[in-house]
Amino acid sequence: MDDLQFRRAIYADPNNQDADTIAAQQNDASKRQFAQDICQLDEKIMRALQVPVPEGLSEKLILRQTLASHQVQKRKTRVHLALAASVAIVGGLMLNFMQFSSAYTNLGDYALAHVYHEQGSFANNATNQVSLTSLNQKMATFDGNFSRTLGKLIFADYCRFDGMKSLHLVYQGKTSPVTVFIVPKNEQLSFSADFNDKKLFGSSLEFNHSNIIVVADKNESLGQWQQNISETVSWSI
Amino acid sequence: MMTKQVRYEALVKALHGDLYRYAYWLCHEKQVAEDLVQETFLRAWRALDSLKDEKAAKSWLITILRRENARRFERKRFDMSEYEEANITDTKSVTTEQELENHWLREKIAQLPPEYSEPLILQVLGGFSGEDIATMLDLNKNTVMTRLFRARNQLKEALEAEPVKRGIYNG
Repeated sequence: MDDLQFRRAIYADPNNQDADTIAAQQNDASKRQFAQDICQLDEKIMRALQVPVPEGLSEKLILRQTLASHQVQKRKTRVHLALAASVAIVGGLMLNFMQFSSAYTNLGDYALAHVYHEQGSFANNATNQVSLTSLNQKMATFDGNFSRTLGKLIFADYCRFDGMKSLHLVYQGKTSPVTVFIVPKNEQLSFSADFNDKKLFGSSLEFNHSNIIVVADKNESLGQWQQNISETVSWSI
Repeated sequence: MMTKQVRYEALVKALHGDLYRYAYWLCHEKQVAEDLVQETFLRAWRALDSLKDEKAAKSWLITILRRENARRFERKRFDMSEYEEANITDTKSVTTEQELENHWLREKIAQLPPEYSEPLILQVLGGFSGEDIATMLDLNKNTVMTRLFRARNQLKEALEAEPVKRGIYNG
């Protein structure tokens, strides 16, 4: 190890413990002297670097942290509250949206979907029968009245027809139940006079304040049903 | 929660002195150094869970402090090359020969270019090896060793020219 290399090594790290530098010191007194000088310099540097640390700095640091984490906790609870409130609002809006917005744009689509949804609930050969009087009691809500019964009425009750209170009637049909809806007029759903899919078909009758929709399978004569309804129903003002 | 608090307090007690001194030599101002240490420990508290190896705590804290110091310059772009002698140490307390020498050497260290003084401080004050310093400063080891060599070389030369300079202070 030559002198320059040695000096560089010692300057870079006076406590150098490399085998090379130690060996070089043992063989050469001047190198040993140089290494000692630099070690002394390092001690001086060390002393010079030891600037006094402000009193109570560690206490200050701990205090500041304690205060800060306290504030964070306070902020966190506030954030949690805000979060909970936001979730509640969003939830409310969603519920509102799902309940009161229509996924269907016309009466026919909705009527078919409604019928399919409740298909299992009504059997064509059901034994229960609803009287004309109780039907007309329910019809009073829509200011309507049937002068005679259209057939065997299995079921008559209010239901939600796309969010609107409407009357859901199920008559015994030739092969499967015939469904009649009495629905208040609404701008959300466009009127569709005739509609059908593979199994069912339906038609709507438009009156002053309500629509009457008939949905039945293809064995029924919808025209007959429509005619019967038009003849029997009357509307009070 | 409790253990985190205990860890934090232990960290503060063990390392605040070293960290303050390091900060002081970075910025040469007592108040700024104290602020830097405060910010550093506050950040350290928030990120304490990410400190897995307690042995690495010192270099971890120094890394945070260096970043914090860099941020200080991002915030206010004042001229950083300007070094004001008045800020280095208070001359009033210089009494003994030893302190006089310390004071004199402090000025010399403060006058070193930061790229030389920083590795020197990390080595002498922090007790870090060349490799450690290289990682912390994001340099390669040879560069660090060269800078250490130059830093000491400059101080030694200044020290050898001391008597002339010293006279100014003594007289």
